[in-house]
Amino acid sequence: MAIRHTRGMKRLGLFRRDKLRQIERAARKWEQEHFAGDDPRLEQRHSYSGIPVKPLYTPADVADLDYVEHLGFPGEPPFVRGVYPTMYRRRPFTVRQIAGFGTPEDTNRRIKFLLGRGGTGVNIVFDLPTVRGYDSDDPRAEGNVGQCGVSVNSVEDMEELFGGIPIADVSVSLVTHLPSVTAAVFAMYLVAAERRGIPVESLAGTTQNDFLMETAIGCAPEILNPEASFRIQCDVVEYSRERCPRWNPISYNGYNLREAGTNAVQEVGIAIANAVATLEELISRGWRVDAIAPRLSFFWDLYNDFFEEIAKCRASRRVWHKIVRDRFGASEPRSYLMRFHVQTAGITLTAVEPMNNIARAALQGLAAVLGGAQSLHIDSYDEAYCVPTEEAALVSLRTQQIIQAETNVVNTVDPLAGSYYVEYLTSEMERRISSYIAEIEKRGGIVAATRSGWIHREIADFAYRQQKEIEAGTLKIVGLNFLRDEERRQEPIRVFRYPEAESRQRAKLGRLRRERDAHAVERALSSLGDRCRSRENVMPAVVDAVRARATLGEIEGVFREVFGLWQFPLA
Amino acid sequence: MQRRIRVLIAKLGLDIHWRGAVTLSRMLRDAGMEVIYIGNQFPREIAETALQENVDVVGLSTLSGNHLTLGPKVVEFLRERGMDDVIVLMGGVIPPEDFPALRQAGVDEIFGPETPVQDIIRHIESRVGTPPTTEQ
Repeated sequence: MAIRHTRGMKRLGLFRRDKLRQIERAARKWEQEHFAGDDPRLEQRHSYSGIPVKPLYTPADVADLDYVEHLGFPGEPPFVRGVYPTMYRRRPFTVRQIAGFGTPEDTNRRIKFLLGRGGTGVNIVFDLPTVRGYDSDDPRAEGNVGQCGVSVNSVEDMEELFGGIPIADVSVSLVTHLPSVTAAVFAMYLVAAERRGIPVESLAGTTQNDFLMETAIGCAPEILNPEASFRIQCDVVEYSRERCPRWNPISYNGYNLREAGTNAVQEVGIAIANAVATLEELISRGWRVDAIAPRLSFFWDLYNDFFEEIAKCRASRRVWHKIVRDRFGASEPRSYLMRFHVQTAGITLTAVEPMNNIARAALQGLAAVLGGAQSLHIDSYDEAYCVPTEEAALVSLRTQQIIQAETNVVNTVDPLAGSYYVEYLTSEMERRISSYIAEIEKRGGIVAATRSGWIHREIADFAYRQQKEIEAGTLKIVGLNFLRDEERRQEPIRVFRYPEAESRQRAKLGRLRRERDAHAVERALSSLGDRCRSRENVMPAVVDAVRARATLGEIEGVFREVFGLWQFPLA
Repeated sequence: MQRRIRVLIAKLGLDIHWRGAVTLSRMLRDAGMEVIYIGNQFPREIAETALQENVDVVGLSTLSGNHLTLGPKVVEFLRERGMDDVIVLMGGVIPPEDFPALRQAGVDEIFGPETPVQDIIRHIESRVGTPPTTEQ
C-alpha cells in the first residue's frame, strides 16, 4: 500500500489565500445581516459534546486544511476517509445484528433467522450470569438466566449455540464484556471449533474483552481489581495473536461508556487510552507493535447528533493513526487502521411511543455508514422494554439493507469529505479527543484512572448533568419531554417473553457435572490457579480447564479466589 | 426538627446498569434526603441493610428482567423482619404489564424509564411524609 510522502512538498492549502479573505469578509457580513439581532445566550447552539456550532460554515472555517496531509485517500494515512481504499463500493459493511436470549438453542434459531434474511455477521450477547461469570445454577443467577442474553455455561452450550452455523465462513462477535469471562468463553468457542474439526487459524470474529466493562462501566456484586482484569485482557490478546490471525481479541467498548454516561469525546478518548495501555503492556512483554495493533478493534455508540457522530468516526481514525505511528513507531500499514463496529444508541430510545425508535435508529445507522463503520447493529424499536421480538429484529435488519441497497450512499467513499462543517467538526473532535487522552495520561493512564475512581466520577457526573438537562427540557426528546402527547396513548407493545431458560440450563449443568471426570476438572482448575499466581499467560490453562469440561462459573471462581474482589468505587 | 427521609437504593441482583440508580441517588440527596446507595445486592442482603440503616424507602433498580423473580422477594424479606412500613419502589426496564403483579406482591410503585425524577421525589415525600401516629 503506497504511503504518500508529504515531506518535501510545499504545504498546499485547499483554498487561495486571497479568496479566503474575501469569503471571510462576506461571511461576516452575511452573519451580521441575518443573526446580529440574536441574543447570544439564547441562540448559541452546541453539539452534544459541547462544540459551539455556528449558523454557517465556509472555507474560511477550514482555511488550513491540506487535502493530502489532513484528509488523504481512503485506505491511506491519515485514514480519515476510511480504513480501506474501496470501502462499501466493493464490500458492504457487515450487517451484524445482535442475537441473544434464553438457551443456546433459542439463540441458535435467532441467528439462523437473521442470517437467512441477509445478515452477514453474527453478534452474540450473553445473559448477566454468563457476562459476570456465574453458572445458571448459582444462587446469584436466579431470575437472570436467559434474560437479555443467551446463557452459556460450558463448551456444550457453545456447540449448541453454533450448531449448523458455518463458523468457518462467517465472522462471529462474542460480546463477552469482562476479560476473565472472555478467557473462558473464547476458550469454549475455540474448543467447540476444534471439536468440529475447524482449525482455529481460520476463525474470524471478535471478543469484546474490555477491563473497563468489569471495573467501571457495569456494576456487579463481585469484580476483580483493575490491574488483574487488565492483565487478563492482555493475556487474551496475546494468546489470540499467537494462534488466531483472523480474530480480533479486543473491541474497545466506547458504546457502553456512552450508555453509562459520557460524551463522544470521552467515549473515544477512554477507549483509545485503553488501547494505548494494551500496546504498552504487550510491548513490555516483548511484542512488536505491528504484531498487535492490526487486530485491535473498536466499538462505537452512534448517538443522535448526526454530524458530530460522523465527525467522531472520522476523527477517531486520524487520532489512532497518529498515535500508532508517532507514539509507537508502527510501520505495518494495517497497524494504523482503526476498525470499528457500531451500535446505534440504546439510551436514546424511548419507552413512550416506541415506533419513533425506528426513525431514531435509522438516522443513527445512516450516520454510522457515512462515518465509515465496518459493521453495524441497529437497535430495535422495542428495546426499551425487552429483548427484541423477531418482528422488531427484522425491521432493524431491513433498515440496514435499505441503507445498503436503496439510498446509494455506498456508491462513493466518504461522501461528506470536504463539507466545511464536517471537516471543521472532525478537526475539532480530534483536538478534543487528543486532549482528553492527555488528561487520562496525567492521571497515570487508564488503569490508574480506573483504580482511583476518576473514570467512574467522569461517567457519574456526565449522567447527572444530562439528567438535569432532560428534566429542564434543554435536551429535547420527542414524545418524552418535548411535544409530549398528554393523552399518553399507551400502544400495547408486545413484550417478548421466551421459554424459561433457567430450568433447562440447570438440568444440563446437572448432567454435565455427573458425566465429566471430576478429578480432571479439579486438577485443571488448580493449574489455572497456579497460572494466575504466576506471571504467565492464563489462557492455556483456561483452555485446558474448558477441555476438561469445567464450567464458566468454576473458571471464574478461580479468578475471584486468586485475585480477590475489588470494591467498585460508588460514584 | 424533621428527620430526613432515609432511602436505600440497590441494584437488584446481577443488573449492571448503574447510571439511573446513581443519578437518582444524587438527585434525592439534592432534594434533602439521606440516601444509602449499596450497589448490587440480593434480596436478603437488601432487607438486612434496610433494617440496619433504618430506612423509610427501599428503591430497587433493574433493567435486566429479574424484577418479577427478585422484586417480590425483597418485600417478603422486609416484612419478615417486621419492616411493614418500609415503602418498596422499583425502577428500570419493567414492562407496564408486569406492574399489577408487582403491586400485588407489595411493591408500592414502579417507575418506568423516563419518569421525571421530580415525580419520584414527590411520591416519596407524600408516602413517607407523616409518621404513623398522625396518619389520616
